[in-house]
Amino acid sequence: MKIVRIAAAGAAVALALTACSSGDDGGSSGSDGTAEAADITLWLAGADTPDELRDYLKTTFEEENPGSTLTIEEQDWNDLVTKLTTALPDENNTPDVVEIGNTQSPTFTTIGAFRDLTPLYDELGGDDLLPSFVEVGQADGKNYALPYYFGSRYMFYRPDVWSAAGVEKPTTLAEFGDAVTALNNGTQSGFAIGGQDWRNGISWVFANGGELATEDGGEWTSTLSDPNTITGLEQWQAVYEGASNVPATERDVAYWDFLNDGTDGAAPAAATIMAPGWARWSIGDLTTNDDGEEVRDGMADTSKFGIFALPGTDGGLAPVFAGGSNIAISAKSQHPELSENLLRIIFSEEYQTMLGENGLGPANAQYVDSLGDDEFATTMIETAAASKLTPAAPGWAAVEAAFVYEELFQAIAEGGDVTALAAEYDERITPMLNGS
Amino acid sequence: MPSTEAPTAPPAAPPARPTPRRRRRGPGAAPYVLIVPALAVLLAGLGYPLFWQAVTSLQEFGLAQQFGQPPTFVGLDNYARIFSDERLWAVVVRSILFCLVNAFATVGIGVLLALLMKAVHPAIRIVLQIGLLLAWAMPMVAAVTVWKWLFDWRTGVINWVLVQMGFDRYEGHTWLAQPLSFFFVATVIIVWMSVPFVALSVYAALTQVSDEVLEAARIDGAGPTRIFWHITLPLVRPVLSIVLLLQIIWDLRVFAQIRLLQDAGAPVSETNLLGNFIFELGIGRQDFAGAAAVSIFVLALTVLISWPYVRNLLKEDA
Repeated sequence: MKIVRIAAAGAAVALALTACSSGDDGGSSGSDGTAEAADITLWLAGADTPDELRDYLKTTFEEENPGSTLTIEEQDWNDLVTKLTTALPDENNTPDVVEIGNTQSPTFTTIGAFRDLTPLYDELGGDDLLPSFVEVGQADGKNYALPYYFGSRYMFYRPDVWSAAGVEKPTTLAEFGDAVTALNNGTQSGFAIGGQDWRNGISWVFANGGELATEDGGEWTSTLSDPNTITGLEQWQAVYEGASNVPATERDVAYWDFLNDGTDGAAPAAATIMAPGWARWSIGDLTTNDDGEEVRDGMADTSKFGIFALPGTDGGLAPVFAGGSNIAISAKSQHPELSENLLRIIFSEEYQTMLGENGLGPANAQYVDSLGDDEFATTMIETAAASKLTPAAPGWAAVEAAFVYEELFQAIAEGGDVTALAAEYDERITPMLNGS
Repeated sequence: MPSTEAPTAPPAAPPARPTPRRRRRGPGAAPYVLIVPALAVLLAGLGYPLFWQAVTSLQEFGLAQQFGQPPTFVGLDNYARIFSDERLWAVVVRSILFCLVNAFATVGIGVLLALLMKAVHPAIRIVLQIGLLLAWAMPMVAAVTVWKWLFDWRTGVINWVLVQMGFDRYEGHTWLAQPLSFFFVATVIIVWMSVPFVALSVYAALTQVSDEVLEAARIDGAGPTRIFWHITLPLVRPVLSIVLLLQIIWDLRVFAQIRLLQDAGAPVSETNLLGNFIFELGIGRQDFAGAAAVSIFVLALTVLISWPYVRNLLKEDA
């Protein structure tokens, strides 16, 4: 019995110790093949890149670089920064080429985690590459991360619901707010948006000429208290309160479900939503695909499903937050030449065209035509051209990781005083932006 | 040494000797040899990370250091910075409260279930045990996902049932929006996950309580309540204290359940517990030094909270 007790006490101590060490061991680096001298690894984020494109990259790379192989590993978007933080500094485990969210790029470009791609810049497309993405991948005037693909977000709506209520398609941002507020009947949201959903909400800030943060001589300052930003936030607050029945704590909701008819033909939960372009494939009437699975028909019935770009304050288009990602080579890569060869394939006309054909906005403006010329493609190109990115500050990833904007937008959605909140959050965010 | 036998039969002593001598010498060496592998694993598995943690907490260590810049020694600066942050203390108070409520609720419900298992027909007991084992075996992420669906504001079963029962205000109710109801949901999930361990351990202990003692108590006129408080409980107390200690340690380091629930939409900074706070600091903001300092603090806190129990356990041996 004595030994059992001592063992139990020992186990308790061991557990107490693990309680401590469990804090920072998140995300051990994925083991990849380091054995072959000429095997390089590409990390793709999420399932955004279709299998067809992955196969193309592999076979083309292996054809053009005889004896070499390409391993593609898919990383989850949520763990990407964590995994890069642990894997990139380790030359034995680092992936050679990595895809990274555009707004996450500054975290790594500013500390020398990526290889300088400036010598390749012109060869890979130069000034034809999407400027806002190129800019976010720069540090000290050098190119460390280049655009991989862009997405954009626009409004999906139910023309049948809108016309039944006698509401016209808006031409200005103010008209949009009035229209969706009029459409809200308490159970059916005029415009379904969660309170914490700042990635959609900041469109109102951008549209009013506001900025989230500005840089002066390397010092970043959060500018929520800028009068234009405040106007935008207040406008968004009015739209949320008037048009949305989604709780203030919600974010990244599967809004597309709100637009589809309910069970047994019940009315949809929302008349309008805002979503990235690919949401199209989750919207529409139910149909059966070739494999016999029940799927949405991709908005085939244009009398029921339509899209439009969020209008700006005085007509034109509102600058929305652009989705998409950048691509970079690890500074610790053992095979930089092979990695550069892979980039040459990615920025080739064939691959850029394939991106477009799969609905991903090609990085090179010359091949944007490949997206097609239907309503979806033209709206995507238009909104992307007018889109904006979050501040390219070194600490931006930290602001996102701490859910600061989620909290700010929730507080605004709950009816908080925007001016006071803006001042409070400026004070919190400015030191974070500068990485302290 | 068995000196009592010596005067009666001195010549017969030699054949009897080896046995006592082996008994005495055995405990001398064997346990130490046997404990070496366990110690080695502890040192390698926990010692090194702990050492790294302690060293890092005394350095300036951020993303730049992770990418090769030499870290600078800053003494206790990280601790000073962390301890002067009022958010830490809010998280500490929240975590301790949450931990105690969960640990005691888990043990309480576990004991009740164990008593139930003792009382019911064996067939029903098997069903209960299988049910408990299934809950225990459920992968955590899958379980939390299902609970998230149950409590969903729009399509969740819980809201639907409450509305059907006539509580109309639960139509579209968001359980995770307020910190208090967020922690209610988290408590339900965590208690649900940990009760099986407690229930089965305590049930095993209950089967060791001899029927003679219980019968004697009954003959002396003790009712069920008295038997429980004065006979059963003292007899299973060692098991109960170990189980409670483990629950306290586990519930203090709860992380993933809270994180997964926060992903479903919640006021994040008001619902962070210590584990989430460390994760946000270290992984989210790449402030590895600050996160290490908080981790060391959590270690001290865990030792402090569990020390009375460990001391009691050791004292019972003396």
